[in-house]
Amino acid sequence: MTLYILKRLAIGIVTIWFIATATFIAMHLVPGNPLANEKATTEVIRANLERRYGLDKPVTEQYIIYMGNMLRGDFGIAFSEENRSVNDIIREHFPVSATLGVLALLFATLGGVLWGALTAIYRNRWPDYVIMFFVILGISVPSFVFAALSQWLILNLNQVTGSSILPVAGWGNFRYMLVPALVLGMSTMAYLTRMMRSSMLEVSNTDYIRTARAKGLSTTRIFIFHQLRNAILPVITVLGPAIAIITTGGFVVESVFAIPGLGRYFVQAVAQLDYTVIMGTTVFFGAFLVLMVILVDILYSFIDPRIRLQAEQ
Amino acid sequence: MTSVNQYALEVNNLAVEFTTYGGTVKAVRDVSFKLRKGTTLAIVGESGCGKSVTVQSLMGLIPMPPGKITSGSALLDGEEILGLKTERLNQYRGKRLGMIFQDAMSALNPTMTIGNQIAETLIVHRAMDKKTAWVEVLELLALTQISEPARRARQYPFEFSGGMLQRVMIAMSLACKPDVLIADEPTTALDVTIQAQILNLLRNLQEKQGLSIILITHDLGVVARMAHDVAVMYAGQIVETGSVDDIFYRSSHPYTVGLKEAMPSNKTVEQELRVIAGSPPDLFAPPEGCGFYARCMYAMKVCEKNSPPIFGNHHGARCWLHHANAPAHILQQSLKDPTN
Ligand SMILES: Nc1ncnc2c1ncn2[C@@H]1O[C@H](COP(=O)(O)OP(=O)(O)OP(=O)(O)O)[C@@H](O)[C@H]1O
Ligand code: SF4
Ligand SMILES: [Mg+2]
Repeated sequence: MTLYILKRLAIGIVTIWFIATATFIAMHLVPGNPLANEKATTEVIRANLERRYGLDKPVTEQYIIYMGNMLRGDFGIAFSEENRSVNDIIREHFPVSATLGVLALLFATLGGVLWGALTAIYRNRWPDYVIMFFVILGISVPSFVFAALSQWLILNLNQVTGSSILPVAGWGNFRYMLVPALVLGMSTMAYLTRMMRSSMLEVSNTDYIRTARAKGLSTTRIFIFHQLRNAILPVITVLGPAIAIITTGGFVVESVFAIPGLGRYFVQAVAQLDYTVIMGTTVFFGAFLVLMVILVDILYSFIDPRIRLQAEQ
Repeated sequence: MTSVNQYALEVNNLAVEFTTYGGTVKAVRDVSFKLRKGTTLAIVGESGCGKSVTVQSLMGLIPMPPGKITSGSALLDGEEILGLKTERLNQYRGKRLGMIFQDAMSALNPTMTIGNQIAETLIVHRAMDKKTAWVEVLELLALTQISEPARRARQYPFEFSGGMLQRVMIAMSLACKPDVLIADEPTTALDVTIQAQILNLLRNLQEKQGLSIILITHDLGVVARMAHDVAVMYAGQIVETGSVDDIFYRSSHPYTVGLKEAMPSNKTVEQELRVIAGSPPDLFAPPEGCGFYARCMYAMKVCEKNSPPIFGNHHGARCWLHHANAPAHILQQSLKDPTN
């Protein structure tokens, strides 16, 4: 198992290197540079700044210096904010994104498993139809529509009740997190519900469920000990992509709800062509996702003995 | 109810239908049989004739809908078990009525150790705690001749061979010392040597524990080895029942004769294997008369429109040839009248 994890980590590092290189190249292909917007600068100041940030050096040398720094865990200094290191930005704003993301993921998986199991139990009866209607809605409506809609609802709610039950935007205690997390997890939850439903139905038709019934086990016991665990397996396999969707979806949701997360920084940085922030956040998000996919694999192997034992060999 | 029953299981006039988009499949029609205590009853017949549906409806295992038990009764040592609610039925199945299936690999939960799968039955039906159940599990595995039970019990189904898994299934179904064991083609998926081992195991267990066994197979060789009594099924009906000798030496139904002739072991290498020409009738619209009419070399006028009753008692055959008015020469040449 350890060997397996090490192997996965090694592949992950190569992936991250690839992401970093590709971003570096793409970034330099875009015309202009971070200092191009600063109108007030004279040629001399610009030359000084370029020297300070190393932009006067050939691109290949910049690349080597950057990779070297990155290996030491140093993402450099932001262009847009004087004297603020990218590491500081990540350290300060990633926890916000992570909190939002974890809440959204929790909501999406718990909701997906629960609703999916319910639709399977009530197959072709009205709870199934109602839930599946909302699932289609959740999959097809983009999250910024949900975001705007929910803000409008909160506004009306606060107006009708005459008190501010939920904040419309911003960041703070759990009351601030609730709605953005719901919005962010919505499409993933819908997707997982659909997946859980078909997986539950598939499992309930298997021979081993028939065996469990032949053994005289109660319906509840069969559901908990035989159906659920096997039905959740396919859901876990898509948890990696789900985390990716929630992470990138966070960029939009953070912008709409004015949440000071790393995603919003990333969007800003792209607009300003802030080289170091773009590189830093991209590599960081990339590394984060690679790590998550590995963690999901490990989680999967704990639930499915076939994978675990294969990996041990 | 007094337990002086001669029969471990008595099934009367069972009928099962499936409602599908294409129409209603009459999968089992008027099936009756009796399983004597401590003996093996073999149910034989071609693929699709309704063997599995018959036994699964006894266990409450057919999916409803589309399935429906339209009539019949099944007495387990005198107690009715057909049409019970799940909670009531669960007091019988797994406890007094065990079942093993053809494909043991798919019939076991892939994500649960086999030890836990066996222990579960003990915990549910015999109110054992986990520790006591585990001791019993190891004994059961040893009983079904699985070596190193302590290590094996902690393994998952995919770590076993097909034959080993079938032993596990047997151990699991015997955990609560059932009166009746239903084995639905337990050896069909296995090679000949393993098949022989499993059959021997079942026979030994029967002798040791006085088990009554229903054995489903389409292999007459297995029937000859294992069965005391036989029920031959065709197109959802039982066409002949009797002792194993009745069926083999005094066959009374043309279909049974055909089955016997199609048996490879009866033939020398040069002789061509005789298979029964034609295919079974469409169960969406079973024929009005005898189900075997289209394939029967003795078919008479009466057979087309009139469904034959069962002639005979302990040895019975569903065929008009045993009617008093039927031409006697056929019986003398090829078929025997049912004895009594
Ligand atoms: N769930 C179902 N829905 C519709 N028809 C069914 C269903 N289950 C069984 N049948 C029908 O019932 C008939 C009998 O099936 P059954 O499985 O009992 O055959 P069998 O004698 O066990 O055959 P085999 O030797 O292949 O196992 C078949 O014609 C089949 O089409
Ligand atoms: S009843 Fe008629 S058709 Fe049917 S098996 Fe007997 S002889 Fe053949
Ligand atoms: Mg079958």
